[in-house]
Amino acid sequence: MALRRDDAALSQDRDTITKAVDDGPVKTRRRGLRGAFVGPGGLRMALLAAAAVALAFAVTAMLILVAGKNPLLAYWALFTGAFGSLDRIAFALNKCTPYILTGVGVALCFRAKVINVGGEGQIAVGGLATSWVALNLSSLPSALLIAAALVAGAVAGAAWAACAAAIRLKRGVHEVLCTLLLNFVGTLLVSEALNGPMGELGAGFPQSPMFVDAAWLPRLLPGTDLHMGIIIAVIAVLAGHVLLWRTPFGFRLRLLGSSNSAAAYAGASFEHGFLGVMLIAGGLAGVAGGVEVLGVHYRLIEGFSQGFGFNAVAIALLAAATPAAVLPAGLFFGFLDAGALAMQREVGIPSSLVFVIQGLTMVFVLCAMGIGMKQQRV
Amino acid sequence: MSTLLKMHGICKSYGSVQANRDIDLTVPQGRIVGLLGENGSGKSTLMKVLFGMVRPDGGSITFKGNLLAQHTPREAIAAGIGMIHQHFMLVEAMTVTENVMLGWERVGHWLRPNDTAEMIRTASKTYGLDLDPHAMIGELPFGQRQRVEIMKLILRGADLLILDEPTSNLSPPEVAGLLGVMRRLREEGHSVIFISHKLGEVLEICDEVVVLRDGQAIGRCAVEGATRADLARMMVGREIGTSAHRAEREAGTETLVVSRLSRFDAAGVERLREVSFSLRAGEILAVAGVDGNGQADLVEVIAGLKAATRGSITLGGKDITGLRVGGRLALGLAYIPVDRASTSLVPDMTIEDNIALRDFDRAPLCHGYTLDKAAFRELAISRIAQFDIRAIGPDAPVRTLSGGNQQKIVVAREIGRGPRVLLAYQPTWGLDPGATRFVIDQILALRDAGGAILYISSELEEVLMLGDRIGVMYNGRLSSLVSREDVNVTRIGLMMAGADEGSQLRSGAAS
Repeated sequence: MALRRDDAALSQDRDTITKAVDDGPVKTRRRGLRGAFVGPGGLRMALLAAAAVALAFAVTAMLILVAGKNPLLAYWALFTGAFGSLDRIAFALNKCTPYILTGVGVALCFRAKVINVGGEGQIAVGGLATSWVALNLSSLPSALLIAAALVAGAVAGAAWAACAAAIRLKRGVHEVLCTLLLNFVGTLLVSEALNGPMGELGAGFPQSPMFVDAAWLPRLLPGTDLHMGIIIAVIAVLAGHVLLWRTPFGFRLRLLGSSNSAAAYAGASFEHGFLGVMLIAGGLAGVAGGVEVLGVHYRLIEGFSQGFGFNAVAIALLAAATPAAVLPAGLFFGFLDAGALAMQREVGIPSSLVFVIQGLTMVFVLCAMGIGMKQQRV
Repeated sequence: MSTLLKMHGICKSYGSVQANRDIDLTVPQGRIVGLLGENGSGKSTLMKVLFGMVRPDGGSITFKGNLLAQHTPREAIAAGIGMIHQHFMLVEAMTVTENVMLGWERVGHWLRPNDTAEMIRTASKTYGLDLDPHAMIGELPFGQRQRVEIMKLILRGADLLILDEPTSNLSPPEVAGLLGVMRRLREEGHSVIFISHKLGEVLEICDEVVVLRDGQAIGRCAVEGATRADLARMMVGREIGTSAHRAEREAGTETLVVSRLSRFDAAGVERLREVSFSLRAGEILAVAGVDGNGQADLVEVIAGLKAATRGSITLGGKDITGLRVGGRLALGLAYIPVDRASTSLVPDMTIEDNIALRDFDRAPLCHGYTLDKAAFRELAISRIAQFDIRAIGPDAPVRTLSGGNQQKIVVAREIGRGPRVLLAYQPTWGLDPGATRFVIDQILALRDAGGAILYISSELEEVLMLGDRIGVMYNGRLSSLVSREDVNVTRIGLMMAGADEGSQLRSGAAS
C-alpha cells in the first residue's frame, strides 16, 4: 500500500497543534533523565526489550519441559550461576566487557546504516597488537605498559576496520562482505603469530608466553577476578552516547542512517562518516581484544575472541543501535553466558540452550520493533 | 440515472480525532464526482473506508445495490471498485502486458500473454489510452504509467474508479490527455471519483463536486454554475486572494551566474546541455517544464549535490563550481528540494534537529566539537514563531506534522538563513492552497528583501505568477528568458511538451 500519511493522522496533528497554539507560546517540554540519556523513545524501547526477554524465557521454558526437565530449576541454576556469589558476578562482568566495548562501536555503525560485522577480526588483531606490546615493552612501568598496550590494540583494530572501509569506499565491495571475510584473516593472523614468532616454546598449544605482572589489568575487587575492563566499557558507553547525540559527527551519523540524500543535502559526506565510524568501531573492538588478553588470559591464546564479534552484532541490534542501551544488552548476554555452564552442570541441560534464549530474545525484539513501527505509521 | 455508490453517515476517528464525521457521498452511474479538500480534510480516509483499507466506526456503503461491509481491498476490487494511488504499483522491469497480468486471478495458472495483449489493444482503442502492450514500464513516461494503472482497473472490471490526485505529476498536455480518458470512461458508463485540490481541473471535468473540510462534507453541488472562488472558499473556509502581492522593484546586481553548464550522468546520458543564465538580486527567475527535463540536475548541480561535467557557477563573484555543499551554504546559497520525505527533511528526527539540518556544524549551533542543544532549541522556537509552524513543540518528530507544516519547516530553515540565492524546486508540491500560498508569499518576501530566486516548477500557473523572468526547460536545455510582460502562454505550453523546441517564448519577433 502507499505509505502516505493519511488524512486522519494529519488532522489529528492539526487538532493537537491548534490546542498547543491556543495554550500560548510553544512550550518546551523537559526531557528528564530518560530523554537525556537514552534518547527519544527510550522508555518504550526498554519496555519492548523487557517483554521480549520475558517471552524468550517463557518459550525456552517450554523447550526445557519438552526435554523432561524442570524449567524453574534450570533457571534457578542459571541465576545462581550468574549471580550466586561475588566470584560469579565478577566472572560474568568480565564476560560482559568485550561484548559491551565491541557492541558500542557496532551500534554506532548500525546507527549510520553501516553493517559492520567485522568485530571478530578487529578483536583478534587488537589482542595481537596488545600482546606484542605487553611482551616486547615489558620493562615499562605498569600504568604506561597497560596504556601503551591498549592503545596499540585500538590502533590495530582501527587499522583492520580501515582496511574494510578502504575496500568499500575505493572498490565498492559491500562492507558486510569485506568485514566478514577480514574476520577469518584476522583470527588466522593470530594463529600464525602464535605458531611462529610469538608462540611459547614447548607449550603444546598455540599460545604466547605469559605477560609480566606489570601488564596485567588491575583488579577491582580484591579476591575476585574482576578487572578494570568493565570500567573502560562503561566509559566507552558514555562516550558513545555523547558522541552520537552531542557532537556534529554524531549528528552526521544519524543523518547518514536516516537517508543518504538528506545527509548529502546537509553537507555530510558519506565517505567521511563511513570511515570515521569504522575507525571508532575498530578501535573499540581492538581495545576489547586487548582487555581480554591483559585481563583474563594474561597471554595471547589461539581463538581467544571466539564469537565475541558476532555476539556484539546481536547486542547492538538488541540495543536498537543506541549506545546507552548497549550496556544492559551486553550485561544480559554476558550474564546469560556466565550462568549457562552452571545450568549444564547442575540440571544437565546443555549450555547451548542459552543461545536459544539469546536468539529468541533477538527475534522477539526485532518483531516488537516492527510492530512499533507499524503502529507509528497509522 | 441509477445510483452506483451510496456512502451514508461514514464516521471514522483515530483516537480523539474525527477524520470523517457523518459523511454522505453518492456517485451515480456514468458520472465523474470530484472530491475536493485540503490536505488533512478526510479525503483519503473516506476513500480508504470505501476501498476496505480502513474500517469505519459507523455508516453504511451500498455499491450496486449491495451492502459492502467488513470488506477487504480484494473484495472491493471484485465488487468493481478500483483505486489508483499516487504511487503506482507497477514493476518497472516488466512490460505493460506482464504488469496487467500480475496479480490478476482471471489469467489463471497458465499465462497467455498474447490474449492479454490483444485485450489491452482493444481496450486501449475503446478508451483512447494509446498503450503499447509490449512497452517496458521503466521506459514509459509518468503519464503513460498512469494509463497502465487505469488499464488494469478497466480490465479487472471496475465500474467505479478512484483517482487520487492523478494530475500532480503530469505536464499540461498529459493532463489534457488524462481528462480525455476520463471523458471516455464516463461515456462507456464508468463512474469516477476524482480526488484533487486543483480547482480548475475539477471544474473542467466533474459533473458534481463534494467538498470536504475538517472531516465533514461541507458542500455538494453540480459543477455547472459553480465558480472557482465558491469552491476555494468552501475548501479552506476563507477567501484566498487570487494574485500575490509583489513590490515593484528594479533587479539589483548579478548574484548567481551560471555559464554553459553541462552534466552527463553515470550512464553517459547528457542531462544538462550548456545551460547559461544570470540571476540578479531581488529577482525571481521562474523556469517551467515537465518533470524530468533536467530541472533536478540543474538545481542539484548548483546546490552542490551533483558535479557538473562542464561549465561554471559563480555566486557573488566567487567561483563555486568546485565547492562542497558546506562552502556553498556559507556563501548564502539556500535550496528547497522537491522531496520532503527523504531529502529536505528527516521525518524521524525532531523539529529542532531538522531546522538545524544545514547549519548544525557551524556557530552558533556548534562550538568546537559539541553541539549546543540550547542554541538548537532557541533557533527552533524562534523559527516556529516566525513562520507560524503548528507543532506541539520543538522536540516533536517531524513525521507527526502535516505536509504543509513540514514544508514550512523547510521554508523556515532555508529562507530563515537569509540567503543571497534561493533555489526552489517545486516547493509547493503536494501542498493545499493555504500552504501553497504561504510558501509563495515567503518567496516573494525574500525577493522583495533583495534575494535572488531560481524557481522551478511544472505548474505553469505558479511560474507565470512568480517569475520576473521566465524560461522553459526541455530535454536538458534552458530556453531563452523573457520578462513577464512579454510572455506568450500558448507557446510556453508547447515548449514544455517539446513541440516547439528552439523557438522563442516571446510573442513577437525573436530577439
